[in-house]
Amino acid sequence: MAELYELDLSSASEGLKAGKFSPEELFDSCWKRAQSCEKNIRAFITETEDFAREQLKNSGKSSSIFDGIPTVLKDNLCTQGIRTTAASKILGNWRPPYDATVWKLLRESGAILMGKVNMDEFAMGNTCGNSAFGATRNPHDISRVPGGSSGGSAAAVAAGYVPFSLGSDTGGSIRQPASYCGIYGLKPTYGMVSRYGLISYGSSLDQIGPFARTVRDLQLVMQLLAQHDPMDSSSFREKNPDFTHNPNVNLKGKRVALVKEFQSFTLDAPISDAMKHVEKILEDEGAIITEVSLPIISKYAVACYYALAMSEAHTNLERYDGVRYGYTVQDAKGIKEMFERVRSYGFGSEVKSRIIAGTCLTEPSRCEEYYVAATKVRTLIAQEFARAFENTDFILQPVTPSLAPKIGEVDEDEMKGYETDLYTLPVNLAGLPGLSFFTGYAGKLPVGLQLIGARWSDPELLNAGVVLERRLGSPKIADGGVE
Amino acid sequence: MSELIFTPVIGIEIHIRLKTDTKIFCSCSTNTDVEPNTHVCPVCMGLPGSLPRLNHQVVEKGMLAGLALNCTVQPKSLFFRKSYFYPDLPKGHQISQCDLPIVAQGFIEVHDANGNLKKIRVNHLHLEEDVGSLHHSASDGRLEGAAISFVDYNRSGMPLAEIVSEPDVSSAKEAVEYVTTLRRRVIYSGASDVELEKGMMRFDANVSMKCSDGRWGRKVEVKNMNSFHALERAIEYEIKRQKKIMLSGGEILQETRHWNDAKGVTTASRVKEFYRKFIVEPDLPPLIIDQAWIDRVTSMMPEMPDVRAKRYVQDYKLPQEVADFLTDVKDLSDYFEACVKAGANPVRAAHWVRTEVLRVMNEKQIRKVADFGISPETLTNLIAKIDGGKLSTTQAKEVFDYMSANNCGIDEAVKACGISEGGVAGNMLEEIIKSVIAANPDVLDEIKSGRDTKGKKLKFLQGLVMKEVKGQAKPQEVSQTLEKILNA
Repeated sequence: MAELYELDLSSASEGLKAGKFSPEELFDSCWKRAQSCEKNIRAFITETEDFAREQLKNSGKSSSIFDGIPTVLKDNLCTQGIRTTAASKILGNWRPPYDATVWKLLRESGAILMGKVNMDEFAMGNTCGNSAFGATRNPHDISRVPGGSSGGSAAAVAAGYVPFSLGSDTGGSIRQPASYCGIYGLKPTYGMVSRYGLISYGSSLDQIGPFARTVRDLQLVMQLLAQHDPMDSSSFREKNPDFTHNPNVNLKGKRVALVKEFQSFTLDAPISDAMKHVEKILEDEGAIITEVSLPIISKYAVACYYALAMSEAHTNLERYDGVRYGYTVQDAKGIKEMFERVRSYGFGSEVKSRIIAGTCLTEPSRCEEYYVAATKVRTLIAQEFARAFENTDFILQPVTPSLAPKIGEVDEDEMKGYETDLYTLPVNLAGLPGLSFFTGYAGKLPVGLQLIGARWSDPELLNAGVVLERRLGSPKIADGGVE
Repeated sequence: MSELIFTPVIGIEIHIRLKTDTKIFCSCSTNTDVEPNTHVCPVCMGLPGSLPRLNHQVVEKGMLAGLALNCTVQPKSLFFRKSYFYPDLPKGHQISQCDLPIVAQGFIEVHDANGNLKKIRVNHLHLEEDVGSLHHSASDGRLEGAAISFVDYNRSGMPLAEIVSEPDVSSAKEAVEYVTTLRRRVIYSGASDVELEKGMMRFDANVSMKCSDGRWGRKVEVKNMNSFHALERAIEYEIKRQKKIMLSGGEILQETRHWNDAKGVTTASRVKEFYRKFIVEPDLPPLIIDQAWIDRVTSMMPEMPDVRAKRYVQDYKLPQEVADFLTDVKDLSDYFEACVKAGANPVRAAHWVRTEVLRVMNEKQIRKVADFGISPETLTNLIAKIDGGKLSTTQAKEVFDYMSANNCGIDEAVKACGISEGGVAGNMLEEIIKSVIAANPDVLDEIKSGRDTKGKKLKFLQGLVMKEVKGQAKPQEVSQTLEKILNA
C-alpha cells in the first residue's frame, strides 16, 4: 500500500472517516516525509509539531472533511500564538493575538497545522529566495527555485508534506509556484476569500488561495473558504458559490480564447508544446477555441500594476516602526533614530526598493502622473477583460514562458521578464480568478498552464480544471531530493 | 499719508469627537474612563493583517453634524491613507476622508463688527480616525527630548469629524462666535456631546493678513488650541504679530506655529511639518449614501436652536432674550420643554428654569441638567401649587431648595418645611378659633359687652389665631370665621 502521505485530501479524509487509519498515523506519515525532505527543500520557517499534536488530541470530533488533515500556511497568514514572520526580520518573533479568517475556518474544521512556510519577504518576489530565512528549493530539482512568493506552500504540497496548503497571490504568487512545482493552484476572484489576517502587500490585489495535487481538493478548500466575512470590507456578500465536485463535467460548447497580442511571445518548447496539446484536448472535449484581443492590457498592465502595488505596499509597510511589536532597538536616541534603525535593519533590500518606489510614485508632485493615472488605467483594464469575457468563457495562456529556473539564475532578457509579468499581473488588476494547472513533465520538471475566468466564475473555472485533469492526468509526488 | 488698514483673513479647522458606542473601524468601546491600552484590538492597534471596517453609526453621526452645519450630504465619498510616522499613529497612516468628504458646502451665521449677520462658509466635514495619546517624561510635555514616552491606544480609532471653514472669519470675536454656534448646533443634532473639558473639540486656525496697500501676508497655521478662550487669544496674538511684521516691512513666513497657552504666545513649530501623501484606502470600499438613507437621517434631525427660540417667542410668548438664553444650552432647553409638556405655564417655567434651577446647579456645581435631581414633572407640580394658591412663592422656593438638597418628593419637602399646603382653613380653622376664644374668656366678655367699639380686642384675637396657625391662614377667612362664631 502507498504511504499515507501520498494520499490527496479527499482520499485521506475518506480513509479517516472509514477508520482505515487514525489522524495520528496520517500526521506521523506526513511529518516523517516532511522531515526527510526538509533538509533539501527548506520549506518551513516555523515547524509546529507540538501545536499539531495538541490539535490531534481533539481530532475525530468533527464531521468536516478537513478533520485530522495536516496542512501548512504561508507565513503571511496570522496564526494566534504562533510566530508569523512574512519572511521578514522586522516582525521578529511576533506571535499574533488572532487568527486569520482562513485559518480560523480550517482550524475549526479540524485541520492540523504542521507549520508556517517560506515565502519571499512580504510576498515581494517570485523565487521564494528573497526571504530572511533563506531560499526554498524545488522538490522536483533542488537546484531550481520553487517559484514565489508562495514557494513554501507549493513545495510542501508537491513533496507530499501535506495534501493541501494556502498561499496568497498579488501578481502571480500562487499560480507561478504551482506551475513550477507541478501542482494545482487557484487565485480566486478578489473578494471571494477573506483577507482578514493576511499581512498585506498590495491590498487591492492580494488574494488568498489553495494549493493541492488534485482539482477536486481545490474545490473542497474553496467550498470552505468562499464565504462572507464581516471582518473584511472587500469580502463578497452574495450567496456562497457551489464548488461541489462532479467528475463528469464537460466543456461542450464552452469558448476558450487565446490572447492575440501574446501569440508573438517566445515560449520554452515544453510550454508551447503544452499549449498546443491542451488546445487539442479542449477541442476534443467539445470546446471552441477562439481569440481575444487585449491591447490596453498588453501595453499598460505591467506599468499600472507596479505603480499600484508599490503605492499600496509602501503604505501597508508604514506600520513596522518598532513601537508596538516585532523587531525593535532599545538604545535609540530619539524616535527618528529608532524608526530609521528598525526599518533599515528589519527590511530586506527588495522590500526597501519597493517602499522607495512606492513613496516616489505617490509623492505629491508625481502622484497625479503615476499613482492616480494607474488607478484610471486599472479601470480600463478591468473593462477590457469584461468585454473579452462577453465573447469567451475562459482565456488559456501560460503562467510563465519558461520552466523553473536554477537558483541564482538571472534572466538577462528584459523583454522576457515583461512578458512573464503579462501572464499573471493583469488577472490581479481586474480581480479575476486564475487557475494554474499541471499538464505533464518535461524531463523531471513539471509544466503548468493557466486558465482565467470572468469575475465570480471560480466554480466554472475549477470544473474546467476537472476536465483538464481527467485528460492530462494528476501530478505525482515529487521526489523531494531524497529518492 | 493715509493710515494702513489690515484685514485679518481667517479659516478655522475643527476636530470634533462623534458620539458613538464603538470606534470608527472596529468594535472597541469609545468609553475613555478605563486603564490605558485596554480598549484596543488588532484593528485599532494596526496589527499586521488587520483590516478596517466602517461603523455605520459614525456615518449617521457625520451626516447629522453636517446637516447641522447646513451642509449637503455627498452620495459618494472615499477614504484615503494620510501617511506620516509618529508613535501614536499605529499604521503609519491615518485613514481620513480628506479629499472626498461625506458632507460639503454649508455655513454658520455670525455677527460682524457692525452687528450684522454674516455667513461663514463651511467647505466640508469629513470623517477620520483619531490617533493614540502620548505621555512624555520631558518637562515641556513634548516627544523631542523626552527620556521615556508612553503611548495609550485607547483613543486610537475614535471617530472624528473634521470641519473646515472657508477663510471668511475676520476677527477673533467672529471666530469664537463661529465655533460657539457650531458647537451648539452639533450638540443639538445629537452627533456629539462636544464636551470641551474632555478634549472633544480641538481647533486649528489659518491666519493671514490683507493690507490696504495691496500686500497679502502668507498663511500661518496656528495649532494646539483646545478651548474657545485659547482660540480667541491665539488669533488675537497672531493678528498682532503679523500686523507688526507687515508694518515694519517684513515678510510673513508660511509656517506652522504652536500656541503656548501658558505663555500666551505662538512659536514656530520645532518639528518640521510631516511629509504627507494620500492614496485611496484600498481596504474600504467607497461610501455610498443613497437618498433613502439621507431622508432617514434628515428626518432624525432635531429642531435647531434658532428655530426653537423662534417658537418660544411665538408660541410661549417669551421675550427674545429669554428664548435665546434657554436655547443656548440644549439640555436646559430640553428641561424647560419637558416642564411645558407636563403642563407648566411657559412663562413661569422659563423663569424658574433660568433662576432657581440654574442657581441650584451652580451652587451644587452640577454640570449636566440630567444630573439635576428635580425632574421637570416635579417642578411643574410645584409651579401648579403656586398657581393654585396652595403655596406662596416664598414657600415654593423653600420646598424647591429642600427637594434639591435632600432628593425627595414635594409632599415630603412640604411636610419637612412645616408648611401645610393652602394654609389652615374651614373646620380646622373653626376649631382653632374656638379654642383661642375658650382660652380667653375675659376678651370674649369685653367684646360681647360692646365695649370694644374700635375692634381692638377683635384684632387681638385675630392675632392670636394667626400665631396659632403659624400665619398659614388667609386673614380674610380668619376674620370672617371669627365674626361668625362670635355672632352665633
